Amino acid sequence: MTSPSEKTVLVVDDEEEVRLFLETALTDAGFKVETAADGNEALDKVKEQKPDVVSLDLVMPKKSGAKFLYEMRKNKEWQKIPVVLVTAHAKDDLGKKDFQDVMSGKALLGPETYLEKPVKATTYVNAIKRAINIPTDEGPEESGAKAELRGLIEDADPARLKEALEVLKK
Amino acid sequence: MDQVELKNWLHTQLMEKVPTNIAIIDRGFKIVEANRRFENTYGDWRERHCFEVYKRRSSPCTNCVASQVFADGKPRVNEEEGIDINGKPSYYVVHVEPVQAEGGAIPYVIEMSNDVTEQRMMQQEHDIIFDRVPCYISVLNRDMTVVRNNELFRQRFGDALGKKCYQIYQHSEETCENCPAMRTFADGQVHTAYKTGKDKSGRTVYYYVNTAPLSRGGDGTSHVIEMALDLTETKVLEQQLKQSFDFQENLINSAIDAVMAVDSEGTINIFNPSAEKLFQRKAEEVIGKNILDQFVPKQFIDTIANDGDSLLLRETWVTDAEGNQVPVRFSGTVLKSGGKYLGSSAVFQDLRQRKQLEQEKLEAERMAAVGQTVAGLAHGIKNVLTGLEGGMYVVNSGMKKNDMELTQKGWNMLQNNIERITSYVKDFLGFARGREPHVEKTDPNAVAREVVELYKDKTNQLGIELKADLQPDIALANMDAEGLHSCLTNLVSNAVDACEMSDKEDCEINIKSYEKEGTIYFEVTDNGHGMDYEVKKKVFTTFFSTKGTSKGTGLGLLVTKRIAQEHGGRVEVDSEEGKGSTFRLVFPRERLPDITGNSNKEDNQ
Repeated sequence: MTSPSEKTVLVVDDEEEVRLFLETALTDAGFKVETAADGNEALDKVKEQKPDVVSLDLVMPKKSGAKFLYEMRKNKEWQKIPVVLVTAHAKDDLGKKDFQDVMSGKALLGPETYLEKPVKATTYVNAIKRAINIPTDEGPEESGAKAELRGLIEDADPARLKEALEVLKK
Repeated sequence: MDQVELKNWLHTQLMEKVPTNIAIIDRGFKIVEANRRFENTYGDWRERHCFEVYKRRSSPCTNCVASQVFADGKPRVNEEEGIDINGKPSYYVVHVEPVQAEGGAIPYVIEMSNDVTEQRMMQQEHDIIFDRVPCYISVLNRDMTVVRNNELFRQRFGDALGKKCYQIYQHSEETCENCPAMRTFADGQVHTAYKTGKDKSGRTVYYYVNTAPLSRGGDGTSHVIEMALDLTETKVLEQQLKQSFDFQENLINSAIDAVMAVDSEGTINIFNPSAEKLFQRKAEEVIGKNILDQFVPKQFIDTIANDGDSLLLRETWVTDAEGNQVPVRFSGTVLKSGGKYLGSSAVFQDLRQRKQLEQEKLEAERMAAVGQTVAGLAHGIKNVLTGLEGGMYVVNSGMKKNDMELTQKGWNMLQNNIERITSYVKDFLGFARGREPHVEKTDPNAVAREVVELYKDKTNQLGIELKADLQPDIALANMDAEGLHSCLTNLVSNAVDACEMSDKEDCEINIKSYEKEGTIYFEVTDNGHGMDYEVKKKVFTTFFSTKGTSKGTGLGLLVTKRIAQEHGGRVEVDSEEGKGSTFRLVFPRERLPDITGNSNKEDNQ
């Protein structure tokens, strides 16, 4: 059985705090971690040392996650590297189109799975493990008021919010 | 003097004094004697034949009257055409009398001729005039029958001889009412009338008729000459003129814009219904009065006084009868023809509705922006939650591992995100506050210079060159200085960030101002990072930031856009990835707002 300690995860995110959080969570779970702040850096890291799995943010300056993904998948050697998308923009204007293009995999091989920010450490680590077939210690998923709030926020529809605002204004 | 001598002398006297040409011709057509008058007319006659002298023929005339008189001894009168001493045609009336000898023989005839060339010429001229004069001429007898008419008359009305004038002119069987010819018959005076008739093809003819009496023997008027001047073309032109006048009058009356005009004396002669509506004044109270200055802007009165041509004010104010100030677009024209002043016209377009629509549009855009902001807020909260979630995890992890450094980093994350929430709320409330802009006469360049001053130290430290290229002669403009300051600050701050994100060594930012065709432009150009297509599309989206968490909430450009809109302007962006960006603020002067708190509105010109 493979263990996390043999695997390297490349965490790509433009936000330093997110990188720190994901890196810490993965390190705690026993992974080796490399980080990159944008698509360009990420490509350099992949060239340097081929990771076992990539954790990828979509919306980033310089080279976006989608562009990085296309370029990586064009290279035969890197085609099979599993990718886990971690994005806050799956449903909004900013990332929707990229997200749908990438997920449909119509251009190139799609990523293995995706997670929406904000993400809980356990959920994140489990998704990474699943992507490279390492058994997960299925801990309790989050519950209660927090989960409910998270659901509500994720389901919020911008158009509805606008309507609500107009009603409040009157 | 004896008897014979006396007789000869008398004979000679008679021959010379009688006022007629006399020639005596023998049976061989030789002229045996003629008087001086004859010789003066036809030249030398001695030893010549009559046909040689009269007509320059070499043989006797066919139809010779003299030979007829020689044959039967009866005198005759005839009209002849000969050739005079100068070779010119000569018309003459000749009386041929036989000279009978004892026994009845006729050895001679006496020809007495009178020259009628002059009369014949006059007759011909008269005929030409009669036929060619551009009038319809006819001669009527007392029962209104046409006894003579001219060529023009025939062409237009057909052959009329023997018909009644009313049959010809009116296609009617009854005399006309108030017939001028009948009046001339009655009083012998000249009469005139305007008439409408029909020509031979039934087309309407308008004519002006003049009837004059003709006397042909005896007392009273036996005939009337009718001379009719054709007015049909004039009438058609008149109708066209009237039509065109009606058309223009209609056009002016139905115009949406208020139209008024004054004549050269300054008296109002046009005041259309739209003008009545705009000024709340009735046309009849205004027309005929010399009160143009109550309606048009003072500049136009000056334009007229200074012999100008026209005046266009894109936006100005007029006062209606109730003292309300109404915004209008004014266009005044000084009317001249060949340098002569004819009057002036003024057109006012009521801008109230447009102003209102603009206001509503601005409001709608602001609502949309606020809507976007609220929608973006949900996303912002998501980011903060991610940060808090992560921070908590990192603190826990650090504490478990007794890793003080990691714990500290986690704390920082928590702190950062609390700060972030604070700035979100602050920016959002700032955006939502809808600060009333304070508009005053502002020097656009002064604001630009302040912003340059503000960023001078920072750009120096970062090794960025900050340049200003301000067109010096931009006039004061109605602007909210503080708002314009925010706009430029935002754009320069963005440009600084773009330079920081760029790999370039020598980054520069240029602030430019210029005015073109009544529009003021500000440009902030950097040669920094530039934006790719996706980013360009989203630059004005709320809470969009590519700068990472530590910088900006993504509200900067949105605020810039809103302030530009409040000034009736807009923000444009040109950007190329890797080459830099230009953000342009565009402020058309005519759309700039009024000065805050200034109820006594002034022209924005």
